[in-house]
Order: sequence, then C-alpha cells, then structure tokens
Amino acid sequence: MDWFDTVITITGYEYTQDAFDAVANDALAQLGDYHRLYSIYHRFEGVENLCTVNDLADGAHRTVTVDRRILDLLRYAKEMYTLTDGTVNVAMGSVLSLWHDYRAIGQDDPAKASLPPKSLLLAAAEHTDIDKLVIDEAACTVTLTDPLMTLDVGAIAKGYAAEQVARSLEERGVSGYVLNVGGTVCTIGKKPDGSDWTVGIEDPDGDGYLEYLQLSGQRVVTSGSYQRYYYVDGQRYHHIIHPDTLMPASGFTSVSVVCDDAALGDVLSTALFCLPLEQGLALVESLPEVQAMWLAQDGTETVSSGWATYVKK
Amino acid sequence: MMKKQEETRPRRVRNDILLIAVLLLVAAVGALYLFVFRGAGNTVTVTVDGQLYATYALSDTVEVDIDSGDGTNRLIIRDGKAFVETASCPDGICVAHRPIFRDGESIVCLPNRVVVTVTSREQTDAPDIVV
Repeated sequence: MDWFDTVITITGYEYTQDAFDAVANDALAQLGDYHRLYSIYHRFEGVENLCTVNDLADGAHRTVTVDRRILDLLRYAKEMYTLTDGTVNVAMGSVLSLWHDYRAIGQDDPAKASLPPKSLLLAAAEHTDIDKLVIDEAACTVTLTDPLMTLDVGAIAKGYAAEQVARSLEERGVSGYVLNVGGTVCTIGKKPDGSDWTVGIEDPDGDGYLEYLQLSGQRVVTSGSYQRYYYVDGQRYHHIIHPDTLMPASGFTSVSVVCDDAALGDVLSTALFCLPLEQGLALVESLPEVQAMWLAQDGTETVSSGWATYVKK
Repeated sequence: MMKKQEETRPRRVRNDILLIAVLLLVAAVGALYLFVFRGAGNTVTVTVDGQLYATYALSDTVEVDIDSGDGTNRLIIRDGKAFVETASCPDGICVAHRPIFRDGESIVCLPNRVVVTVTSREQTDAPDIVV
C-alpha cells in the first residue's frame, strides 16, 4: 500500500491467515482514511481534507468545516510547534511546496534540476505564522487567516496516523504485531513466544546496521537525509528543510527516536535533525520515556542517556 | 463471542480447550522455528502489488525484466547482491537504490508496485524489522 506516499508493512503472528488478514485489513482501512484526510496533494470525492483547506480560493479568511481527526491533528501540531520551539511548523506549506515542486522537476528530468530561488523562498517564508492557523473546537472548523499561507503536515501526519491506528489495535487487545508506515514503526506487544522485536536501524553509509534495538510496545522513528532527495549539479539536496535557513538541514545523516508515541517520535526525529546537537539532547533529556540517537555527517554517533536500555544485548 | 461460549461450558471442557490452545501454540512456535531455521540459502523475493511474483537465490546470477503491468524493472542478481539496473518508472528511486543483500532489505518501486526483498533462512540474528 502506498498511502502517505510510502510503503506500509504489517508484520504479525497469528494461527490462521484469516485472523491476520482481519487485523491487517482493519489497520490498512484506518490508515487509508487518515491518508485521505491528511493529504495535502490530492482531493478525494466527498472528503474535506487538508488539500481542500489549502486550495480554497484565496479569500481573506478561509474557514473550512473539517473532520474531527483533522482538528485533532492540527491541535497536536500546534503543541508540537511550542515543544520544538518552532522547528516543526505545519504552517510552512508555502516554503515546503516550493521544495516539493523543484524536487519533483529535478527527479523527473535531472537535466532541469535546480534549487528554488532564494527570493521565492524568502517571500514564501513571510507566510508561515502558525498563529494564523485558527482552530475552532466547538464549530469544528479551521481558518487560515493569512490568505497566502498553506499547511504541510509531512513531518507529523504519518506518525500521528500510525499512532492512532496502533492504539486502536492495542485497545482491541491485538498483540504480536508491528506496523511500519514508511520508517515509522509501532511495535504492538511482544512476539508470541514472549521475546522482544528486533529492529535494525540501517546504516546509511555502510553495509551493516547502526544499531539493533529490542522493543516491546515502543515506537521508533528515523529521519534521514537519504530517504528523499534530488541532485542539483551533482550535489544532493534532501527533504528536511530547516525553518530558519529555508535550506535542507545540515549536520546529521540520520536521527532515530524511540518513545511510546509515534506522533511525538515523528515530530522529534525531524526536530532533532534540524536542531544543534546540544539543544536536541537537552530537549530529549527533558522528556520522559524518550530516547534518541544521532548520526552526524562525519560519522559520529551520539545517544541519549537511556538509549542503551533499548539496545540489543 | 468466544468468551461467552466458554463461560457456559463445564470446567473440564474449558481445561481441554486450554490444553488444545497450548498445544496449538507449541505447534505454531515449532513450525515457526522450522520455517526460520531450516532450508538453505539467501533468497530474493519479488512481489508485484503485494502478490508473490518470483523468488531467486541470492547466490545465483540473474538478469530478468519484471513486468508488473504498470511498467518494467530490470532486476540483476550478481556477486551475492541484488539491484535494479533500469526501470520504466519516472522517479528512478529503485535504480538509485544501492544493491541489497542484508536480510530484510528491500528495493521498492512505488510507481510499478514492485518490491524486491532479501530474506535469509540462515542468519538467526537478523532483525524482524529494518528502518
């Protein structure tokens, strides 16, 4: 399945194929619903989604009545803006869509690959004030009070959706499953033999694994510069855009986060990719039940104080 | 629903059911071990749209066009590694992917809905999930 423009795999142990199919199909159906609601690129018949919110004719005020699940995501996104000190900002749609469009052109035809002009990026960055995203809980509406502002939930929607689906399975008593939505991994319970899941974190520069983790119920999310990118004049430009420089964040090749909430993990892995190491480390240490590993561009590995508890012995 | 049925049954029947469940569990775990630890060689599995398309030994030399209906990917297996040499898809992400050989590694072509995965039945320390 390629919802959230990525690959979804579901691993599970059941006595019968039917039992597995029932769980897997339920999870996929739920993920499909979230995908249609959170898509910023496509509209779907009969669904008011984030694409509708973004596309509505440039009026002074664009108020859209939305599904509660969109409201919940955007409220969470505002909390995450505060937590990450503005590093993860869903109101950066205007900037990120420029990078998205230039990347698409560059991938289609490498001869035409170019960077978004600085002037366009700076102009777009004028319209990224998250306070202009107004949520009305009672009316269940979303208003963008800046007509040139758009939303991009790329750093958050996948993790948020995966977490909701994983929780719904857990509430039903499902155990012995792993949900992997394009690198956002939710382990649900242990394996049926009582052992932990082993998760290998790929080494982007080598042939081995950076780390083997042992997880039972936790989530792990990795953000990497090797996941989505394009080339301009032989230089690689990846997809994680720093909100201050408006350019791909430099410093790290990959950041992994282990915690008990995939939405938080998704946000943090992006934030930590952009923040300086000391600041990111301080953020992680301030949060309970969150551990992280950074792989710097020079190959140096740094881990948070409790990371070792998850490393396979 | 199951629970409700069990509650109306006498204790001995319930114990029998428990025993059967335990036996099934033992059998399932046993079967799992056989499946994981027996059998030879590293395998390259190709699926199209989630359906098994073909399997090859990683030790073989293979050059094959995978026709998915949406397009074509040329899969090469050589020197114990598998990679996609050329593809009809617009983004070419599968072609750019480095050769795979570790257990659990995949090359994915979303436009053509083709997934090439390395599976191993020899290594016992292979992770369940790779990210």
